[in-house]
Amino acid sequence: MGLMDSVDVLVIGGGVAGASIVRELSRYELEVAMVEKEADVCFGVTKATHALIHSGIPGKGIPLENRTLLLGNLKMDQLCKDLDVPFERVGKLLVAFNSEELEILRMHEYNCRVGGVPGVELITDVNKIREMEPNISPKVIAALYTPTTGIVSPWELVFGLIENAKKNGVRLYVNAEVKSIFVQQDGSFIVGTEVGDVKSRYIVNAAGFGADSIARLIGDDSFKVTAVREQRIIIDKVYKGLVKHLVRALNGLKTTGDFVAPTVYGDIMIGETIEHPDDVYDVATTRDGLEGRVIPRAKDLVPSLPVRGTIKPFAGNIPRVNLKTEGGYKLIGDYLVKPSLASEKLINVVLTGSGVGAAPAIATYVVEEILPSVGLELKPKDRFDPKREGIPRFAELTDEERAKLIEKDPRWGHVVCRCEMVTEGEIVEAIRRGATTYDGVKFRTRTGMGRCQGGFDRPRVLRILSRELGIPVEKITRKGDGSYEVLYRVKELLLDARRGSDSNV
Amino acid sequence: MQEGEVIVMSRVLTKSVDVVVLGGGPAGLGAAIRAKEVGSRSVLLVERAEELGGVLPQCIHNGFGLHYFKEELTGPEYAWRLIKKLDKLGVEVLTHTMAIDINADKVVTVVNRDGVIKIKARSVILAMGCRERARGAIRIPGDRPAGVLTAGTVQRLINIEGYLPGERVVVVGSGDIGMIMARRLVLEGAEVAAVVEILPFIGGLIRNEVQCLRDFDIPTYTSHSTIFIHGRNRVKGVTITEVDRKMNPIPGTEKYIECDTVVLSVGLIPENELSRQAGVEIDPSTGGPVVDEVFQTNIPGIFAGGNVVHVHDLADYVTESAEIAAENAVKFAQGQQVVDDTTRVFVEAGENIRYVIPRYVSKSRPASFYMRVSWPLERAVIKIGDIVKRRFPFVRPSEQVRIDVPVEKMKKIEGERLVISCEGTEVIPR
Ligand SMILES: Cc1cc2nc3c(=O)[nH]c(=O)nc-3n(C[C@H](O)[C@H](O)[C@H](O)COP(=O)(O)OP(=O)(O)OC[C@H]3O[C@@H](n4cnc5c(N)ncnc54)[C@H](O)[C@@H]3O)c2cc1C
Ligand SMILES: Cc1cc2nc3c(=O)[nH]c(=O)nc-3n(C[C@H](O)[C@H](O)[C@H](O)COP(=O)(O)OP(=O)(O)OC[C@H]3O[C@@H](n4cnc5c(N)ncnc54)[C@H](O)[C@@H]3O)c2cc1C
Repeated sequence: MGLMDSVDVLVIGGGVAGASIVRELSRYELEVAMVEKEADVCFGVTKATHALIHSGIPGKGIPLENRTLLLGNLKMDQLCKDLDVPFERVGKLLVAFNSEELEILRMHEYNCRVGGVPGVELITDVNKIREMEPNISPKVIAALYTPTTGIVSPWELVFGLIENAKKNGVRLYVNAEVKSIFVQQDGSFIVGTEVGDVKSRYIVNAAGFGADSIARLIGDDSFKVTAVREQRIIIDKVYKGLVKHLVRALNGLKTTGDFVAPTVYGDIMIGETIEHPDDVYDVATTRDGLEGRVIPRAKDLVPSLPVRGTIKPFAGNIPRVNLKTEGGYKLIGDYLVKPSLASEKLINVVLTGSGVGAAPAIATYVVEEILPSVGLELKPKDRFDPKREGIPRFAELTDEERAKLIEKDPRWGHVVCRCEMVTEGEIVEAIRRGATTYDGVKFRTRTGMGRCQGGFDRPRVLRILSRELGIPVEKITRKGDGSYEVLYRVKELLLDARRGSDSNV
Repeated sequence: MQEGEVIVMSRVLTKSVDVVVLGGGPAGLGAAIRAKEVGSRSVLLVERAEELGGVLPQCIHNGFGLHYFKEELTGPEYAWRLIKKLDKLGVEVLTHTMAIDINADKVVTVVNRDGVIKIKARSVILAMGCRERARGAIRIPGDRPAGVLTAGTVQRLINIEGYLPGERVVVVGSGDIGMIMARRLVLEGAEVAAVVEILPFIGGLIRNEVQCLRDFDIPTYTSHSTIFIHGRNRVKGVTITEVDRKMNPIPGTEKYIECDTVVLSVGLIPENELSRQAGVEIDPSTGGPVVDEVFQTNIPGIFAGGNVVHVHDLADYVTESAEIAAENAVKFAQGQQVVDDTTRVFVEAGENIRYVIPRYVSKSRPASFYMRVSWPLERAVIKIGDIVKRRFPFVRPSEQVRIDVPVEKMKKIEGERLVISCEGTEVIPR
């Protein structure tokens, strides 16, 4: 396949890591491109994240994750404001059920204070806890409160970053799986993808679960990416307010136990079962996980949890980095963000458990520290525009604002998704901004994310996609790669059968 | 006014009517027609879809109208008869218009391509129908591929949009829509590999079990649960398993069935997001508003009819209930009293009754009770307090029971509570 682009930096992978990095690169006088193997950006790990913006409780032995989490958290307000992305600092209550756990909270409190996490408070007055969180279990005896913990929309964050990067000159190629990398004599690369080749001086390998395979293409087998799976359940937004903070249990000494949390869209998310799938792309939920762990454990935290309000159970796999040692690959409890051992002009970036919160700081680190250290010169652009406007959310507008939009374009008066109140105007706008699949529309507009899960809107959204993209409905997929929504036109099978029997005669 | 000063008037339009009907299915159509017939000056019908008729236009099978029109019709025919009548009476209709808010003052906000309109009504009739439960609600584990659809969505895709979702289908749940769609899929050339029902009996009407499943030799698995959906991009198959009486999977009974489509028919839920916004009290046993014998909700002047109240078996009863709501909504709009508050009785579902409508009656008026049992029984007796005792050869959850009680009997109710219960012989053990 022919050369489709020639750039200074090519970023592989359109998750939150890649998106943050291209947007950071777009501040400088550089030619930048991104390639993504899926039909859209944000279809990898980042799609299934809960996107809690952690305060970064510093602990021992995981320095990069904690350093960037703390910095990333501080950058979130400005970033989300610039990109018009929902972000709320709801705060976290890490709870203790007994005196042993209380001691663990004390340890974390100490670490937070030393590490400079703003506003932490260990609350042992149960009345105060109940005041903050009326539905919390009466068995909770103490809580470590971190006010800076936030929640964000992970999809809107990635779409916002990419749209803004594109506005500032970055080029995006989707359906572009990287298949080969050829290192040229001058150290630059020819990257072969499914849709064409890209010539690039530098590569940022932010391919998530694909990052180890990418590194291997240039002979770097220093790490392997494995997975832990977490299962989760989304509960209907009619129960909004059930919890106001991220309410989380301890997991042994760690802060990553089961949780009940609000989302930026008003529904509730519960979750956390840890499994170790052999296949990093296997994100199936299980009966044991949902009924045996997620639900009962969430009920330990919030006994009145309305499980019958379940909208959607799902699972996500979190990458983990394993470094090559003499005794085989060994798990490290941290990110991998380093120039490759095989070629320093390829930077490996593998984020693990809290990458959404860390990504803004990781991006700065990669762009301002690592890339210049291997020779990339940065010259700020005169006309970098940090702003991006989100798609107006009809459901959240005033009647006056709604009427104004409809006056300009009547499609804003046509409600296509009843549960989330999404209009045709929003759907057309999502397609204009790059959605080509049902999920692409869904993650940009929330259509089909409510309680009927697409029962009402799906036929209508398919029709709009078909019209706007000029492709037949049978060719439209849920999320690319053979995930067709409908397989035939009516009577097609009957005609085929008739033809089949004719030829037998 | 000074030169250059701009006065921006509100872009939001307003309108005022006697009766506004929300939803244009057999309930809303029936209500709007009746309201006009009994003399309301201004009736407005609001429907979010392109066409009137609610779910009827996609129900191209027969079995409608036997009670109401005394004739067997298809869904579209049933709707068409009502629509013609509506046209003749000159009811004002807004289609392609969605009601997005109601408040307790009975101001309904709607949107359409012309903008946002606030409609001030003297009385409101809720007729928004119901929606289907989706995969999440029953938490079927597994992958999340394309090709898992609810029966009503499949019905719309095939009968209205012209697409066939797949060629080898497993139907999960045995509600009426699921059975009707199983037959439709076979007629369209697809293969229905199984209908899987977790209960020990079929969820829908006997007539559909016979005419859709048995007549078409569709393999049916009762007391079976779907425990896994396979396929990353598109459905590849399901694993089902037998369940014990507590509905827990029995290990070792797993069975893999290959398919490219899963159709869910696992229940309907009255659509009451709007009602909640207005402060209408919802009955957890039905998912619909708590109503009295004239289908008035707890908010005076807000009435409800059809599937928005509880899920009906037949469109005929839907229309009937909405007519009662309409007659009283008009009375209310004209300032007349609609219920007798002095002799109110609270109605409760007792033994083996899943729910009962209405929840309030007056001793001074006749009443019709609609109910569903929780478990099938033979030689059953349904008791309405001490005033009525009615025998039935059998009762089933899928078949709604209606009992009309004349005023002489209503007068005999003692106290302020009326319990409805059902006893009989269990043929299928619980
Ligand atoms: C269940 C769950 C809960 C989580 N909770 C939180 C949380 O609360 N807070 C938080 O901060 N983080 C959380 N995380 C972690 C966070 O989501 C991840 O750290 C982050 O999304 C990783 O982003 P990424 O860009 O590195 O990976 P990805 O989003 O996977 O992006 C990599 C991209 O590379 C593409 N790609 C792969 N191979 C190729 C190839 N050969 N060619 C081209 N493209 C390729 C992929 O398709 C993908 O789009 C959670 C994760 C999960 C799964
Ligand atoms: C597949 C299937 C098969 C059936 N088979 C039979 C049968 O054989 N015989 C029989 O008698 N009955 C049958 N029924 C039952 C019958 O169709 C229903 O009971 C009846 O349609 C319910 O009427 P409804 O008016 O209450 O609700 P619907 O028909 O659902 O109408 C509600 C209307 O309200 C509109 N609406 C909702 N919210 C809003 C809003 N916010 N703003 C504006 N409009 C709104 C909707 O668009 C819809 O048009 C069947 C039903 C189905 C689904």
